[in-house]
Amino acid sequence: MTRGLGGAAARGIALPGLVAALAGLALLLALPVLLSASLLNAAIQMLIAALFACAFNLLCGQGGMLSFGHSAYFGVGVFATVHAMNALAGQGLLPTPLLPVVGALAGMVFGAIAGWFATQRTGTYFAMITLALAELVHALAPHIKGVFGGESGVSAMRMPAWGFSFGEGRHLYYMTLFWVLLALLLLYGYTRTPLGRLTLGLRENSHRLRFLGYNTHLLAVLVFTVSSMFSGLAGGLQAVNNELGNYVVFDANLSSSVVLNSYIGGVNMFLGPALGAALMTFFGLAVSDLTRSWLLYQGILFVVVMLFMPTGLAGLAQTWALARRRCGAQRLLPLVGAWLVALALLSLGTVFAIELLQQLFSTDYRAGVQAGAPWPAVRQFGRSWAPGAVTTWLVPLVLLATGTPLARWAGQRWAAALDADQGQDAPR
Amino acid sequence: MDQFVVSLLNGCIYGLLLFMVSAGLTLIFGMMGVLNFAHASFYMLGAYFAFTLQPYTGFMGALLLAPVLVGVLGVVVERFFLRRVHQHGHAHELLLTFGLSFIIGELVKLFYGNYPVEYRVPASLDFAAFRIGELNYPFYRMLMGGVAIAMFVMIFLLLTRTRVGIVVRSAIYRPRMAEALGHNVPLVFMGVFGAGAALAGLAGAVAGAFYTTNPNMALELGVMVFVVVVVGGLGSLEGAMLSSLLIGLVTSFAVGIDRSLVDLLALVGLGGWAQGVGGLFTLKLSSLAATLPFALMLLVLLLRPSGLMGDKT
Amino acid sequence: MTGPILQLQGLRKSFGPTEIICGVDLDIVPGERHALIGPNGAGKSTLFHLISGNLAPTAGRILFQGQPIGGLSPALINRRGLARSFQVTNIFPKLTVFENLRLAVMQRHGVQAMFWRRVDRLPGVREQTEALLAQVRLAARHDALAGELSYSEQRSLEIAMTLACDPQLILLDEPMAGMSHEEIDHTVALIREVTQGRTLVIVEHDMAVVFALADRISVLVYGQVIATGTPDAIRNHAGVREAYLGEEAGS
Repeated sequence: MTRGLGGAAARGIALPGLVAALAGLALLLALPVLLSASLLNAAIQMLIAALFACAFNLLCGQGGMLSFGHSAYFGVGVFATVHAMNALAGQGLLPTPLLPVVGALAGMVFGAIAGWFATQRTGTYFAMITLALAELVHALAPHIKGVFGGESGVSAMRMPAWGFSFGEGRHLYYMTLFWVLLALLLLYGYTRTPLGRLTLGLRENSHRLRFLGYNTHLLAVLVFTVSSMFSGLAGGLQAVNNELGNYVVFDANLSSSVVLNSYIGGVNMFLGPALGAALMTFFGLAVSDLTRSWLLYQGILFVVVMLFMPTGLAGLAQTWALARRRCGAQRLLPLVGAWLVALALLSLGTVFAIELLQQLFSTDYRAGVQAGAPWPAVRQFGRSWAPGAVTTWLVPLVLLATGTPLARWAGQRWAAALDADQGQDAPR
Repeated sequence: MDQFVVSLLNGCIYGLLLFMVSAGLTLIFGMMGVLNFAHASFYMLGAYFAFTLQPYTGFMGALLLAPVLVGVLGVVVERFFLRRVHQHGHAHELLLTFGLSFIIGELVKLFYGNYPVEYRVPASLDFAAFRIGELNYPFYRMLMGGVAIAMFVMIFLLLTRTRVGIVVRSAIYRPRMAEALGHNVPLVFMGVFGAGAALAGLAGAVAGAFYTTNPNMALELGVMVFVVVVVGGLGSLEGAMLSSLLIGLVTSFAVGIDRSLVDLLALVGLGGWAQGVGGLFTLKLSSLAATLPFALMLLVLLLRPSGLMGDKT
Repeated sequence: MTGPILQLQGLRKSFGPTEIICGVDLDIVPGERHALIGPNGAGKSTLFHLISGNLAPTAGRILFQGQPIGGLSPALINRRGLARSFQVTNIFPKLTVFENLRLAVMQRHGVQAMFWRRVDRLPGVREQTEALLAQVRLAARHDALAGELSYSEQRSLEIAMTLACDPQLILLDEPMAGMSHEEIDHTVALIREVTQGRTLVIVEHDMAVVFALADRISVLVYGQVIATGTPDAIRNHAGVREAYLGEEAGS
């Protein structure tokens, strides 16, 4: 799709987009009134994850530098802020609402050093180095108890400031919201600065930039530093919220999840990673009581996105807008319906199968199995399923077997619809 | 002195183990330009498959069969996953393998539990090969080293002396030319990917019995393999061997050194001060052994960014 | 300035056992348009790589405005006033044409690490970019993605980006490959126009272009310069005829 067409689509969604953005902002501001305490806490987690993902995407989606160890900068922000909380007790220059700045500064300094090393190489090497750096911190942290605490970590206490107690969820929420919105605004502004444009240049063709007179190593270090600064800010926010820093923050989970979330959301759009992170965090919290396989689902979703939807979920909106311009909603809506049905079938089938397997292979179940006797039934979705019965396995099989061809069919019809109108829309 | 010899042997064998895994990774990267993040997952699966098969086929049977299974899985991954995203570029392929490694890790936790499994060296192989001073040196360690060396020799001979090897090497350097000459390059890709996976699986099957077999082993070893590759230079088998041994030896010797910076500074009379400062200074080298390869990597990046034997790209 | 703007002295480059550049001595006079011709594989692009910093010489010296630049980084060399274009188009495919050019223009305005001002608000950057776009006749493709331009449009963009750095010495590597006659005529006129007051070294295969543009011509064969002189002198040079022009006539 040419930029012209993309520009038209962009204009087509600009006004509705603005309205949606304002509505979204109003909703965000009203959340403490609408949600319970635990849901509000979830909202805070989602905001922090969204910020972290956007900071990550600066380096990855915009700068083209894939970092597999970004949790290091988040974690540095966490610990710096926790120590600041203890040292300053919310007094002096840094009352509680301003504490996340410490996290940002720590992330910035550590990111500059780490970035200098990592950006000596590009591409795959760079990714490996970032992973190794994060693992270095992860391996070192348990030994430096003074800084990172032991297994119980380092704790601190939020102090009242500016007339707010910061003991309530409401105060924390608005503080987090303020910082996240400010950071997102700054990050967006960054993309419009010369350095922001050069970030894209680094992704597109850093080789050429050198021949245009740019010191690409310096540029890459700067980009890395900005990204880790905002990652540290996110860490600082988490520290203030949780009043705790633990070195498990440095393990691979956080680094992996920010990569997964960003790509699921879509790295080509500015708010794509934020969307992905918020969604995944929400689902992670919501279903953590229902299933132990949440991470597996996340991984499957990621692989599905990488295989079939490289632009991510946010990219879907743009794809839809463009397709609608080309073919008209009438032709496409039935296909969208088919897609949704196929998606439902495939999701149900997959979840059923995985949950069934999860139960069958859990230690509790295996302890209950006796040699010779038929395996006990498993409870799922409110019904009992016997592992020996054929129907138990038939259900997921049928779901997957019907969903797959339907998805395939919908895909082919979609592609055909777009191709058929290609001729009409080609630029003369 | 005995301790020295033991550390030397341990270091060499650990290095050879690292090489077993990183050799496949280097070959695949050299040929396809894609870093297979899931390579260490193949290593882990080798151990788990061998553990599962052992009650049915015996230990040796498991050692033979598990790599085959992993190799088949590798072929499936290449054919149905990697090939589909090839057009989107190397970063995309890397991310896909990352996602696959993630899924494999979670599946292992699902089927086997989030804790180590009892995959052990069988009693028949659990004896001392020889004595060094007062210490018994386990035969199984020598076996691991032997397998690694045999594997290296076999790959080398295969690549340099057989017709298949020549075709593979030509596909590595000039895939399009090889294809133009009539060779089935996609088949070669699939084969090398599967072979690399099988090698990693073999390493896992052999090593998993000696070290622990747990869902974390992919990440622990994977990071080490990446360090090996950065230090040695990607695409260079000699570099991989050199840096594997280097890292193996450094780690092994460090584990035996119970000194810290305090002791070093005590030589110049600053021991008391350093002890007072605490923190980083009192850390024993033995505790830090696992982090030394990373420090080595950072050093190499400072002094010789393309790796010990890499090209100046 | 007096003295040659670019001097190659005993320049050699080997890749392993293969020597590509086998001792090149060449002086480029300031303000001239110098064409570099030679059969395929003679080493013309390698020479450009050496001069622009993409490769380091194995032996010999390269002097730009009297200062040695052999082995320096491409960025440093560019900032001293030496810019090159590439034989294989080397642009930013997913950015717009305007963005591509703006990235090149920004450097000379000293704004590389600036993150506190919007780039749209920078005086001069926009104007210079628009002017350059108009000069290479790409103003109509202002918002098109660079990766989707036609081949010759991309070549024009390539030239524009090379000019954006306001260089004293311009190296153009086969800028007109793949262009139609009309496009070639326009580009020749463009090159003449923008290289006034600058020095140009151009690699070209189209002899009509070479003889129309060049003040002097050097012929590179198997990594050595076998002749340097005015177009007429080269036309009549026996060795050149045999090695290069002669092959064309004979084939």
